[in-house]
Amino acid sequence: MTAISAEERAAIRESFARLLADQCSEEDVRRTMASDEGYDPALWRAMADMGIIGLVVDGEHGGIGAGAVELEMIMEEAGAHLLPGPLLSSAVLAAALVAASDDVGAKARLLPEIASGELKATVALTGDTGSWTREGVMVRAEFDGDRARLFGSASYVTAANVADTLLVVATTAEGLATFVVDPAAPGVGIEALESWDLTQRLSRVTFDAAAAVPVLGAGERAIEHALALARVALAGEQAGAARRIFDITIEYLKTRVQFGRPIGGFQAIKHMAADLLIEVESATSAARAAAQAFAEDAPDREILVNLASFACADAFSEVAAAAIQMHGGIAFTWEHPAHLYLRRARADAQLFGNSDLYRERYVAALEKAA
Amino acid sequence: MTNGSGDIRGEVRAWLAAHWDGETRRPRDGQTADFIAKVFEAGWAVPSWPEPWWGRGLDKADASAVISEFRKVRAPGAGQDRTNITANTVMNFGSDALKRKVVPDFLSGRVHQCLLYSEPGAGSDLAAIRTRAEREGDEYVINGQKIWTSGAVTADYGLLIARTDWDVPKHEGISFFLIEMRQPGIEVRPINQITGDSHFNEVFLDNARVPAENMVGVEGQGWKVLQTALAVERLVMGEGAGERRQGSQKSNVVSLIDIARDAGKLGDSLTRQRIAQAMAYRQLNTLNMMRAKAEMAGGSSSPIMSLGKLAMSRILHEDARVMTSILGAASMLDGADHARAADVNYRTANAYMTSIGGGTDQIQRNIIGERVLGLPRETEVDRNLPFRESRAVTG
Repeated sequence: MTAISAEERAAIRESFARLLADQCSEEDVRRTMASDEGYDPALWRAMADMGIIGLVVDGEHGGIGAGAVELEMIMEEAGAHLLPGPLLSSAVLAAALVAASDDVGAKARLLPEIASGELKATVALTGDTGSWTREGVMVRAEFDGDRARLFGSASYVTAANVADTLLVVATTAEGLATFVVDPAAPGVGIEALESWDLTQRLSRVTFDAAAAVPVLGAGERAIEHALALARVALAGEQAGAARRIFDITIEYLKTRVQFGRPIGGFQAIKHMAADLLIEVESATSAARAAAQAFAEDAPDREILVNLASFACADAFSEVAAAAIQMHGGIAFTWEHPAHLYLRRARADAQLFGNSDLYRERYVAALEKAA
Repeated sequence: MTNGSGDIRGEVRAWLAAHWDGETRRPRDGQTADFIAKVFEAGWAVPSWPEPWWGRGLDKADASAVISEFRKVRAPGAGQDRTNITANTVMNFGSDALKRKVVPDFLSGRVHQCLLYSEPGAGSDLAAIRTRAEREGDEYVINGQKIWTSGAVTADYGLLIARTDWDVPKHEGISFFLIEMRQPGIEVRPINQITGDSHFNEVFLDNARVPAENMVGVEGQGWKVLQTALAVERLVMGEGAGERRQGSQKSNVVSLIDIARDAGKLGDSLTRQRIAQAMAYRQLNTLNMMRAKAEMAGGSSSPIMSLGKLAMSRILHEDARVMTSILGAASMLDGADHARAADVNYRTANAYMTSIGGGTDQIQRNIIGERVLGLPRETEVDRNLPFRESRAVTG
């Protein structure tokens, strides 16, 4: 990992925020929501040029070589703008999974193209249960010499509709393993699922004797590591998005007048706002602490990453839901942005495992530490 | 978090090594009181204050480093520039003469203080106080009644707000005094609390006297002085001081995991979910406070500090709720034979000390909404009336 100074960090954040303000406005997001691809290729290229897509890929493979702290930071911005598209799937989850493997060849083939944005990859991990646990994997691999064939299905696969490469987690006799699959290959079926959050596309992917190339050393440990980094990134996205919809709501409370005064002056509303501020600040603290612990491989890393996973998911869900209530009728209209945040919050709360799962793992980690 | 320069950490460590036994958590010589006096003399009590005023003139990062070194070995007395209510209030608003007269005694722990703010008719609406202070020569004569005063029995001084002008709006006629508690005009009566403790008192002031030089700030500006004192108090409560029972240095945090294990419920998934949530509230508040301190050490003010007290009240109530659900029917019991039940019932009742004391949760939400988020102020029908005409007086 490259050492990145506080100044460089602030500069990355600022230029990314400016890019998103310019090319990922609410209007842009709505246009992308209505598109077939579900992402904006021009913005994708601009993000690649800026180094955002190669942020966590090491310098040797054409990336910036930054760590979890920088990733969490840019994800706060991505969340604030509800950035649609494969950033999390390709630049974080897929990149981290390949990077965590022992496969020198796969790294050399995939990472430079992922970092440059030319190749969009995604990870097919969970089956129809959507649990993102070992037990939830519903693809199995059969070996025939060096060649492997995959059977079964994966669901809730993010951005598979635009993926050039699939990384598929499958069960083998030796436990979980990861395989590279060409989405256009015979035996691979990609069925787009209609998703409630239109800014994130989901697919169900089926494998019927699909040809697959194993990624060496990308077993359970590497999968867990990549998933943990993706969860830190997701926590950052949730914290950033929660703060933005909160800020939008507070502004409205100051300008919407009823009974002769701004509604933010009424305790029924003001007290909700104060409680939500605790949620917003807690989410930010949790996401950043998890990123720091991940980057340093700190002893409390497991505790903090699990905490961030449910605390940020719950905070974003609560803030986005309350935002609609506090706005009143205006936020019940399609044209108002509040529901876009609610949609994202509800999707993010399920992605990579839900809050119940991570509350359980948080207690388990605390028990282990005690 | 900013770490402070290595020099200052080294100096503090060396000083602590000479005076404090980190193993036994006791002073090397003498009593804790002697140690605190030495901390004061060394300038560690208020490291960010200037040297002529008992400090060391350190910047925020170095001052935080001093506190963190003391915390590491659990040594008391440092960092009172953040936490000592009286010393900060007098330092900010008192005359130089008053500072010299009282601040060293407060910082070295030689004297104790109590807070004479709330009255039976002025709780959340603190500016409605009716205790009067009338000038007589070089003194003020105080008459009225205060309530919810902790430590009044042992206090040497009271921080008192009293009304000096009844013909101006309520916030403008209040003055702030440092009154000596041991005098004939002051009577202290303990309050029996819902916990069974008597931590708080009523204080009756009947022609009690305070020298005019003990006024903190100028006459009629007491409300402003009070805000500083309250801000320090809320900061301390947000960091969990409300969790320490009086007279105990030991943190009162217990492990929900241990309680569940003892009750045979650690394998129950619903219990585990509840434990996770309660423990998360606590850890999130800790992370918030750490981030706030880091931001402040970096020179910017942090809105997060004002959230701590409200967050702590949720933590304490939630802990008690989860413990109750773990204990189940046993939580109906009490007494020495049922220690866990007695503890959880005590906690259930005592949590209100944080959610009511020092500003109720509801008042805290007003403050956060208005001062942090910039939402419009509460309407206050008597805000601009001469206090004499307010319903607080007319009934």
